[in-house]
Amino acid sequence: MKKLLSNPLVLIGFVIIASILLIALAAPLIAPYDPEAIDVKAILLSPSSAHLMGTDGLGRDVFSRMLYGARISLMVGFVAVGIATAIGIVLGAIAGFYRGWVDTVIMRLVDVMLSIPTFFLILAVIAFLTPSIWNIMIVIGLTSWMGVTRLVRAEFLSLRNREFVLAAQTLGAKDARLIFTHLLPNSLTPIIVSSILGIASAVLVESGLSFLGLGVQAPQASWGNILTDGKEYIQFAWWLSLFPGLAILITVLGYNLLGDGLRDAFNPRSSQH
Amino acid sequence: MLNKTYRCKLIKFICFTSISILLSACGDSSSTQANYQLDYSKDYPATTGGTLIDAMVGEPSGLIAMIAGESAASAIAGNIFNSLLKYDKNLDLTGELAESWEISKDKKTITFHLKPNLKWADDKPLTSDDVLFTWQKVTDEKTRTPYGSDFKLVIKAEAPDINTFRITYAAPYAPALDTWAGLHILPRHLLKDQDINTTAFARHPVGSHYYKLDSWKNGQYLKLTRNPNATQGQAKIDALLSRIIPDKAAQFLELSADNIDSMGLNPIQYARIFPARPDLNKNIALYKELGNNYTYLGFNLKRKPFDDIRVRQAINYAIDKQEIIDGVLLGLGEPVASPYKPGTRWSNPNLKSYPYDPNKAKALLKEAGYEDHDGDGILDKDGKPLAFEILTNQNKEREMTGVLIQRRLKEIGIDVNIRVLEWASFLGRFIKPKEFDVVVLGWSLSLDPDQYSIWHSSQQAPGQFNFISYSNPRVDKLLEEGRLELDPEKRMKIYHEFSKILLEDSPIVYLSAGYGLSAIHKRVKGISNPAPPAGIGYNTYEWYIPKAYARTEMSDH
Amino acid sequence: MLKYLLKRFFWMMPLLVGISLVSFFIMHLAPGDITTSEASFNPKASEESRQKLRELYNLDKPVVVQYGLWLKRMATLDFGTSFASHQRPVFWQTKDKDGNVTLGMIQEALPITLLINVLSLLLIIGVALPLGVVSALNQNQLPDRGITLFVFIGFAIPGFWLALMLMYWTGVQHAWLPISGLQSLGHENMHWFAQILDTLKHLALPVFISGITGLAGISLFVRNGMLEVLHQDYITTARSKGLNENRVIYGHALRNALLPLITIFGLSIPGLIGGSVIAESIFAIPGMGKLFYDAVLMRDFPVIMGILTIGAILTLIGNLLADVAYAWADPRVRRGVVQ
Repeated sequence: MKKLLSNPLVLIGFVIIASILLIALAAPLIAPYDPEAIDVKAILLSPSSAHLMGTDGLGRDVFSRMLYGARISLMVGFVAVGIATAIGIVLGAIAGFYRGWVDTVIMRLVDVMLSIPTFFLILAVIAFLTPSIWNIMIVIGLTSWMGVTRLVRAEFLSLRNREFVLAAQTLGAKDARLIFTHLLPNSLTPIIVSSILGIASAVLVESGLSFLGLGVQAPQASWGNILTDGKEYIQFAWWLSLFPGLAILITVLGYNLLGDGLRDAFNPRSSQH
Repeated sequence: MLNKTYRCKLIKFICFTSISILLSACGDSSSTQANYQLDYSKDYPATTGGTLIDAMVGEPSGLIAMIAGESAASAIAGNIFNSLLKYDKNLDLTGELAESWEISKDKKTITFHLKPNLKWADDKPLTSDDVLFTWQKVTDEKTRTPYGSDFKLVIKAEAPDINTFRITYAAPYAPALDTWAGLHILPRHLLKDQDINTTAFARHPVGSHYYKLDSWKNGQYLKLTRNPNATQGQAKIDALLSRIIPDKAAQFLELSADNIDSMGLNPIQYARIFPARPDLNKNIALYKELGNNYTYLGFNLKRKPFDDIRVRQAINYAIDKQEIIDGVLLGLGEPVASPYKPGTRWSNPNLKSYPYDPNKAKALLKEAGYEDHDGDGILDKDGKPLAFEILTNQNKEREMTGVLIQRRLKEIGIDVNIRVLEWASFLGRFIKPKEFDVVVLGWSLSLDPDQYSIWHSSQQAPGQFNFISYSNPRVDKLLEEGRLELDPEKRMKIYHEFSKILLEDSPIVYLSAGYGLSAIHKRVKGISNPAPPAGIGYNTYEWYIPKAYARTEMSDH
Repeated sequence: MLKYLLKRFFWMMPLLVGISLVSFFIMHLAPGDITTSEASFNPKASEESRQKLRELYNLDKPVVVQYGLWLKRMATLDFGTSFASHQRPVFWQTKDKDGNVTLGMIQEALPITLLINVLSLLLIIGVALPLGVVSALNQNQLPDRGITLFVFIGFAIPGFWLALMLMYWTGVQHAWLPISGLQSLGHENMHWFAQILDTLKHLALPVFISGITGLAGISLFVRNGMLEVLHQDYITTARSKGLNENRVIYGHALRNALLPLITIFGLSIPGLIGGSVIAESIFAIPGMGKLFYDAVLMRDFPVIMGILTIGAILTLIGNLLADVAYAWADPRVRRGVVQ
């Protein structure tokens, strides 16, 4: 851990993510206004001491909305990646552990999913369902498990024939036990790294969907739809596009720094650079 | 282009795009533009020439309005095709292709006399055969049009000579002339062997109005140029160009960079941003006009507790409509108390919308059995709290209206949720199967007072317009009578009575009628301001662009 | 080589079948059948399109039959006609009995998106290669730090946000570039050279926006690849033999570091195609992305299914090309020494 945090990039990433998490958790305490409270007398006010980030077209306090939006954006990231990782671990473990035709089928499925442009796939599914925050999270999760699957499978394949696994097997350990006590814990690091990077891209995808009007639906605030509200006033109310844009940028940057740093730290080959 | 809204009188669809939420605020008229600043306030005599450029969000699916159905198609097709009749500046019916018309004594037969020597853009004569053909097509079972029902009431149509067209209804049909003012006459010689639903003609139309289609670049623009055979005389502006720019933010950037000449505005842009931007006002003029539409809150009358008139009236009393007009429309709207445009003859001047009266609302709810028994601040009855969900589509003004309503209802103890949905799922998943409690929506109406399709109890099937399931025998009867009565005075009485019952019944809460707001570049002259009853767009053919103000050929931005 | 090609080609078949299954599955996601959600308030039109959909996808037949028929449609690339735009075929042009040709929607949109993607790839290669090399050669020095920062920002920046900012900055504030659209008005009357220039100007921002993530990714990839190669024995050997440093770097190291790039490009195709949705919608470019977005908003299912399938097939072709290029560049693969 110490070694990890000595890498300045990891440290920066860690600090960014930790602060955003903290802010999101403490949103009700920090937020000066109700994020959905509209005030028709305070439309499009520029930032001031009363409204740190100004107000939007409905007179809502942008700062409060940003704080609550952090919750949505983070939740989308966590839940979507949680789903993707769960699917990825299960399929990857099965493929890597049992090999044979199961492996072939799963890997071909991965290839198929990878060959359909992801954003098209997400939009298509949204078109058949109704856009809502839960559907968004599920859809992003269901369309981004392929990387984890490949990763887990590769880890399992390489661990499968290691002595400690073979030893456990000869001692009569059951498959499930082998998987959960020996193989999985030893594959955890790359899974974590890829999950962190996955969250970064889920946050971007959610904001893109909201931007297209197919993401989180109003009046709920997500950074993506604050930005969407703001795009119509970009020449006049710069604060409406600047703050959410920067927030997305910094958050995604934070996850990427953290994820990349962790990967470098755990991967002896790349850490020499 | 603006006048097309008024040309498609058939359209009674829910106005989903509504008052376009177009872009705001202009840039600091950067140094580059300041160099080109022209003084647009000078007057020049009317002249021909120039190109008027506007922007639309979506691309028309075709230019046969009865098939395409969407507003983008009607807007463009309205410049290409004529109808028999049209509404003039003061919203009186007058001839377009027809020179005159007469109605028989029994009021069942209408005879139209066409103007002599009419021609299509391809030089072929336009005759009563074309009108007859159009009627056959619009009533044909195989034609995929929602507008057929009005014309199916015609039991006999004939073209006794090339300039005469005669129709007979089974019973007098008051909206008849209005329907004929909305039907684009199509050329028989080009369409007679075609499947009208799929014909290539929809993308290569030949009409008779001021303009003809010059080019259509998919996904980019449609360009119309003057039709030398135009039946209504020659328009001044040479070409109309409609660019397809789906993103409204991009549209406003294009307007401020002077790449388009006109677009609709939202109240914030009109009332807040333009006044703060003198640089924009130098080039762009603003217009406002009261359209034929209103916003409302509609109850699903099939669901409890909205089947109880006291609950509906209570909610009506609890909503502060003036607050919505001031807050959401920034004062750019009017209160409404009937489903007709305020100030027109159909609108009953004696009706006043429910005043904001929370105490009366509470009293009515108490009468209906709703009281706060458990002390949680929410009214309840039989242990169930009074709570529901307001659904609306992605439209900033409607969302804001919903939030204001939510706050007022909370004050009298009703727990309200708001859900904003993207249009297609809103319609497909909630409106059609009637899966909603309460909606905030708008109606765009035709000029004829007939509102049979919205309020008659027979119009409740999925996909029909009476999706709130309103059913009142008295209203049904009045609507039926209104269709039979041709005398304007008597008709007015019928619809005044109808509006009165509707207001009392409160199946919907009228919220506001917003002004249509638009920005048009000052290079365009000849626009009537203030707008006459028919709106600023009634005389687009008289608009002109003085040579001094015309764009230099924009080979290079 | 031929054997490799054939093998590689046949390997695509199971993938195509898989794609047909996935798209078939998506098509049946909607509650009820997909005909119930249609974005029109026109009872007659919706009844009509419901009927058409039933015909198109044979929704009244058993699932297995439906799937078989869907497979047939995919094989013949026949996706029917669009709901929203009733007259237009989804994929390829049709000719009516009078000889009027109606162009297919994908037929028109695809070349535009391909052009944007090819330009994006060129941009990526042109910029990312030098950046990566410079970064690697100056490891942990100022240029490397700067480039790394750029790379991370490029990964993290929301493209649509950047697009709006650039649109305002270059289009309104400075009038350097057109704001939206594919061509200027009056494009037809221009000299061919001016036409190309005009189109390029319009595409400048969209290409930049759709290429930015790839740019960042490839820069990083080249940098790390170079660093790895530079530490390998044969480079040390080459150096110790006294080879000119430039030859070592550009003749040996770069060449080997670049090989995996070919595969990366193949893999980046679905991302590029998918990413076109946002760029094309903002910039009003009538390509596949905007077509798809419009179709989603209108619930125009024939178009959605058509683009989904064509997009997947394009990706497969892209991967195939990448593999072939790789085999061509690396003789060991060609000879089957390594898989």
